[in-house]
Amino acid sequence: MSKVVYWVSLSFAFFFLAAPLLIVLPLAFNDSSFLTYPMEGFTFRWFGVFFDTPPWLSSLANSFKVALGTTLAALLIGGLAAMGVMLLGRWGRIVMSALFVSPLVIPSVVLGVAMAYAFGRAGWGGGYLSLVFAHTILAAPLVFLAVTTSLMGLDPELDRAAASMGASRWRRFHTVTLPLAMPGFATGALFAFITSFDEVVVALFLSTPQTQTLPITLFSSLRDRLEPTIVVVALLLSIVSCLFILALNRLQRRGAGR
Amino acid sequence: MPKLKNSQIAALTLLALPVLVYLALYLAPLASIGRLSVDNGALSQRFPALSARFGETEAPDDAAAAALLTDLKAMARTERAEAGRLFNQELGGMRSLIIDTGGAATQIEPTLSALTAFDPRWGEPAIWEVVRRNVEPITWRHFQRATGLKPSAEGGFEMSPGDDVYLRILLRTFVIGLQVTALTLLIGYPLAYAAATGSRRVQAVVLMAVLLSFWTSLLVRTTAWVVLLQTNGLLNGLLMWLNLIPEPLQLIFNRFGAVVAMTHVLLPFAILPMINVMRTIPAAQTQASRSLGAGPVESFLRVYFPQSLRGVAVGGGTVFILALGFYVTPALTGGPGDQMLSYYIADFVRRGLNWGMAAVLSIFLLVCVVALLVSGALLRRAFGWSRSSAASGGTG
Repeated sequence: MSKVVYWVSLSFAFFFLAAPLLIVLPLAFNDSSFLTYPMEGFTFRWFGVFFDTPPWLSSLANSFKVALGTTLAALLIGGLAAMGVMLLGRWGRIVMSALFVSPLVIPSVVLGVAMAYAFGRAGWGGGYLSLVFAHTILAAPLVFLAVTTSLMGLDPELDRAAASMGASRWRRFHTVTLPLAMPGFATGALFAFITSFDEVVVALFLSTPQTQTLPITLFSSLRDRLEPTIVVVALLLSIVSCLFILALNRLQRRGAGR
Repeated sequence: MPKLKNSQIAALTLLALPVLVYLALYLAPLASIGRLSVDNGALSQRFPALSARFGETEAPDDAAAAALLTDLKAMARTERAEAGRLFNQELGGMRSLIIDTGGAATQIEPTLSALTAFDPRWGEPAIWEVVRRNVEPITWRHFQRATGLKPSAEGGFEMSPGDDVYLRILLRTFVIGLQVTALTLLIGYPLAYAAATGSRRVQAVVLMAVLLSFWTSLLVRTTAWVVLLQTNGLLNGLLMWLNLIPEPLQLIFNRFGAVVAMTHVLLPFAILPMINVMRTIPAAQTQASRSLGAGPVESFLRVYFPQSLRGVAVGGGTVFILALGFYVTPALTGGPGDQMLSYYIADFVRRGLNWGMAAVLSIFLLVCVVALLVSGALLRRAFGWSRSSAASGGTG
C-alpha cells in the first residue's frame, strides 16, 4: 500500500516536472497556426517566420551581444573579487563575500527600479552599456562563487612548493594558481552567459526597442497573442540551456578526473 | 611583518576595481531607492527660501510671504510656468495664481496682507497647505499612501477604510508565496526522496529532470504553461476529449494558473536542498528500525521523515523568499487579482513613472526578504544546522 502511494505520487510529481516542456516544445514543428494536438504535419516554416519577422532576429543578436559583454565584465569583476577575498583575514572575508554575493538575494524588480533610475540619471539609459552593467551585477556573484570554490579546492602545498623554489608572488600566481583555477573561471563564464541570456526582469526596465533582448521580445509577444513562433523561441532558448548543461557537465567531469 | 603587509596590498589592488564597480552600479542605485522614497519632486528644489521658512514654523505669516516672493523673483518666467503647472496638478487654479503673483512679485510688498490684497486666495489656509506640502524637501506621502496610515489630528495615526490597498497586496503576496511553497514541498518531496534513495537509474533520471528544469529559462517554462492552460489549450482539450468536462474551464489568468506555473518554476529550488539533506541520512537507520519491527510507514514517519525536515525547511524557505519577488510568471499567468507586489512596483515605473511609490514598495519587498533571510539564519543557528548543506540551493 505505501509502495503504491509512493509510486503514484512520484509519477505525478515527475510528470508535473517534466511533461510541460516535453508536450509544448514539439509544437514548434506543428503545421498549423493553432498550438494544439494532434499535430497536423511537420514543418520548419515557423522557424522561417522567426528569421524573417522583426524584431526576433535582431533581439537574438542583442541577447548575444549583451551576454558576451556581460560574460567578459563579470569574469573580470567576479574573478578579481574572488582572488582578492582569498587574501583577506577571517572577518574581511566574511564581510566582503557577503557584499559580492548579495545581488543574488535582492528581488530583481527592486534591482530593476534602482538601476533604471540611477543609470538614467547617469545618462546611460537604454543602451547596451546599461544592460551589460546591470547583467554584470547579476552575473558577477556567480563567477565569484565558482572561482572561490575552485581556489578553495587548491592544495596550498603547491603554492608553498613554488615559493620554496624561489618563484615570486606574481610568478606563482600566474604559473601555478591561475592555471589550476581555470575550471572555476570557465564555470563562472558559463553561469554569467546563461544568466544574462535568460534575464527578463531587469532588462524590462532598461532595454529600448533598439536594444531589446530575446526574452523581452518573447515576454511582450506572450502578452500580445499566442503564435507558433513563440514556441520556436522557447525551443531555441531551451537548446541554449541544454548546450549550457552539456558544457557544465564536461567541465565538472574534467575537474573530477584531475 | 612585511609578508602580511604585502598580501594586504595585493588584496587591496585586486579588490579595488570590483568594489568600485559594486559601489557605482549596485550600492549607489540601491541607495537612490531610499532617497526616491521620500523625494518630494521638482517643486521642493524651486522654493529654497520658503522651504527653509517652513522648516521653522508652518504658519503662513509675513516671513512666509516674503520667502515666497523671494523664491518667485529668483525664477525665470518659464520656471514659474512649470512650477504653476505642477501646483495645478495638486489643486486646480493654482497655475494662474503662481504665474500672476510671480509676474507682479517685484511690486508686491513682502507682507501677508499685501499678498492677500493682490490676490485674496493667498488668505486661504488650503492654498498655503498645498504650497507647504509641495515645497518641503522630503515627503512621507508615498509611505502614507503605501501603508494607508495618515497622521491624525490627535497626533497618532489613522487609517480610513479602503486605504489599505498596498497592505492587502502585501498580504496577497505572502498568501500566494505560502500556497506555492506548500505545493512545491508536497510535489518535490517524493522527487527528492527518489533522487536520494531510489535505484541508480531512478536517481539519474530524476536528477537529470530536476537539473534540466532548473537551468531552463523561467520564461520558457512560463511559456509552456501559457500554452497548456489557455482556454483552447492542451489541458482543456485533453479534459474535454476524456469527457471529464463539457466546456473549457478558465485555467489561466486566475489564481490557479499563477500558482501552478509558479510552483513548476520554483520546484527545483525546493528539491535540490531536500536531496542534499536526504543523501546524508544513512540507509542503515531505516533498515535497523525495520529489523526492530517497525512497518515501512512507521519507519518512514519516525526515523526518516524527521531527519529530512532540515531539507524541507531550507527548500521551503528558499522557495518562499524567491516567490515573494516574482514578477514575470504571475504577470503572464495570473489575473488582475493575483498580481504580487513586484507587479505594482514595475507598474508604477513603467506606466506612471511614479518613482516615489515604486521606491516605497521596493523597500517593503526588500525589508520582507532581508527579514526572512535573517530569521532563516537565526533559525539555522538555533537548530545547530550546518551551513554547508544548506547553502547549495542556488548553485545546483
